[in-house]
Amino acid sequence: MTENNFNRRDFLKLSAVGIAVAAGTQAIKQADASGGKKGEHQWAMVIDQSKCTGCGYCTLACQAHNDVNPDIEWCTVLEAGEVNGKKIYLSRPCMQCEHAPCVEVCPVGASYYRDDGIVMMDYNKCIGCRYCEVACPFQARSFNWEAFTGDNPAVPEWGTPEVERRPRGVPEKCAFCYQRIDRGMELGLVPGIDADATPACVVACPTGARMFGDLNDPNSNVSQILRKHVSYRLRENLGTGSRVYYLPADAEEMES
Amino acid sequence: MKKIFSNVFKTIRENIFTPWGLWLTFLAIVLSIALVAGILVFWKGLVITNLTDLVPWGLWITIDLSSISVSAGAFSLCAAVYLFGLKRYAPIARTATFIGLIGYTMAMLALVLDIGRPDRFYKAMMYWNVHSLMWEVTMCVMLYLTVLIFETMPIFASLEWLRNKYPALAHKMEGMHHYAPFFAIIGLGLSSLHQSSLGAMYGVIKARPYLYKPEMSVLFMFSAIIGGIALTLFASMLSSRLTSKAKINDALIERVSQFLSYLLIGYLYFRFWDWMASRYMHEPGRTEAYHLLTVGPLSFNFWFGELLLGILVPMILLLYRPTRMSPFWRMLALAMVVGGLVAFRYDINIVGQLAVISYLPGESVVSYTTYSPALVEWASGMGIVAYGLLAFSLGVKYLRVVDHRITEEEHETVTVNSTEAVHA
Repeated sequence: MTENNFNRRDFLKLSAVGIAVAAGTQAIKQADASGGKKGEHQWAMVIDQSKCTGCGYCTLACQAHNDVNPDIEWCTVLEAGEVNGKKIYLSRPCMQCEHAPCVEVCPVGASYYRDDGIVMMDYNKCIGCRYCEVACPFQARSFNWEAFTGDNPAVPEWGTPEVERRPRGVPEKCAFCYQRIDRGMELGLVPGIDADATPACVVACPTGARMFGDLNDPNSNVSQILRKHVSYRLRENLGTGSRVYYLPADAEEMES
Repeated sequence: MKKIFSNVFKTIRENIFTPWGLWLTFLAIVLSIALVAGILVFWKGLVITNLTDLVPWGLWITIDLSSISVSAGAFSLCAAVYLFGLKRYAPIARTATFIGLIGYTMAMLALVLDIGRPDRFYKAMMYWNVHSLMWEVTMCVMLYLTVLIFETMPIFASLEWLRNKYPALAHKMEGMHHYAPFFAIIGLGLSSLHQSSLGAMYGVIKARPYLYKPEMSVLFMFSAIIGGIALTLFASMLSSRLTSKAKINDALIERVSQFLSYLLIGYLYFRFWDWMASRYMHEPGRTEAYHLLTVGPLSFNFWFGELLLGILVPMILLLYRPTRMSPFWRMLALAMVVGGLVAFRYDINIVGQLAVISYLPGESVVSYTTYSPALVEWASGMGIVAYGLLAFSLGVKYLRVVDHRITEEEHETVTVNSTEAVHA
């Protein structure tokens, strides 16, 4: 009898430990997933600074396709020093961070991760507190201080709007032209290869300085070039894990 | 109808040139200007402010942070009275609770002005991102505001009109004070959470090296308790000098002021340590932000507002017995502490945003931006302050908010009679 009792208690203890371990692993799993779920695709952009001439076509195409206020630039172009007496430029879309500060700080979850890594904005949920703007290390977010009501000067020369205009009082940002990716993939196109499924800035670039593709696919153009070429990301020390890679300007490549 | 109006006008005519009438007129003017400014903000949008994408948080956020922090007297004094058993300070806790209710509603008003979509205010409660410190602050503030409403019910129950018209309701509201210890526990928990989280809200911003430090929450919590108690004492002393409706027990206030002086020593130590540790070594962004504080445009605020007049001078005035015993010097010291707290909140909010760290590769380049509040921000912001002053003045006049003769009956005290004689 005593033996039996002991066993039962032992069994209970063991199952308690088992439950605790299961709960623990579950918690760890959940913590792991907080940096965005990993879906089938992981979209990334590569920008070759050797080829970028600072023409600003990317900015204009973006403003047209996403119907952006001319005062706001989702993809902005900056001067970034010189190599061999030639000016270098840096084009900056949203970095689509793997651990995005804007997503972490948003009180209502209006900024969120898509499975494919794109950092999205739910403009209908946003309360306009601007915490994401304060938290973004790349100044990639712009607030709609007033409503954009007039004509879009970039339309139709640089493209036609594909998304709704954002209302007054919410911040907006680049989302890798998710609407083009989604529509293109529905039609069986491949983002990064077929223009209709690729972000507008990549398509508009006249020097082919931008590449777009799937990091999960080892044969995609971005995976291949990142294997071959030296690359860097902006403010990498912050550990946000941005999905925009830059190929540093190279004097020899710039000559050719 | 006509008679009512003529009566109202008669009352106004008779009372306008009394100090009370002039004070109300002044507040009414400030509030009317603020109302116009507020309508302009909702109508035209935030484009009429001086806020930019580089400095999205400005004066309103300072008012929001300040009014929440000066409300910290409510939870700290309630905890002292109902949890640590310092019952004789109950009348001071009563004043602090009322100030707390005003402070939190002021913060709500500031937020309604500040957020881009005030029509979606409720969504903050519907959609939860538990990762966000701002979510946590929102939840705690909402819950704590509810607690404060219950805590202040006995105060509102003393309204003459309510007592005459709805005696049963007034009695029920009065009865809420029986639950004071429970409210004190909940209030302590919620306040500790959000007062420090307000600091952590800035402390987790990795993009801005000046703000990114763990001690932010400690500093916010510590300074809030000090500022909250200081405002409660100052407001009590000031109103007792201005009106016979307010009655204070100076000995009680003097004791709390002495306690405050010790807290100030601790706070000075924390600030000194934070300042020294953060100044050590060059860190792009952080060093430049400190430059703005110590020699740049915010240096007067920092050295005089925050440190000298905000901590050092009041600390000495409250530590030194003769100045502490003098109501004038004590009041001056308490007012300085509150001013120092507001200066601290303004600087913290603004300085991390003014030093803009570039994301270009290579050596970090830091540039400076500027911000000074627009007239419309000042006008509406001052309206929020005027609302607070008005609410407190009405409280003093009609609700006996500052009355140290009021003693509540003991809570949850059980007298135990020994059955046997105890031999010492």
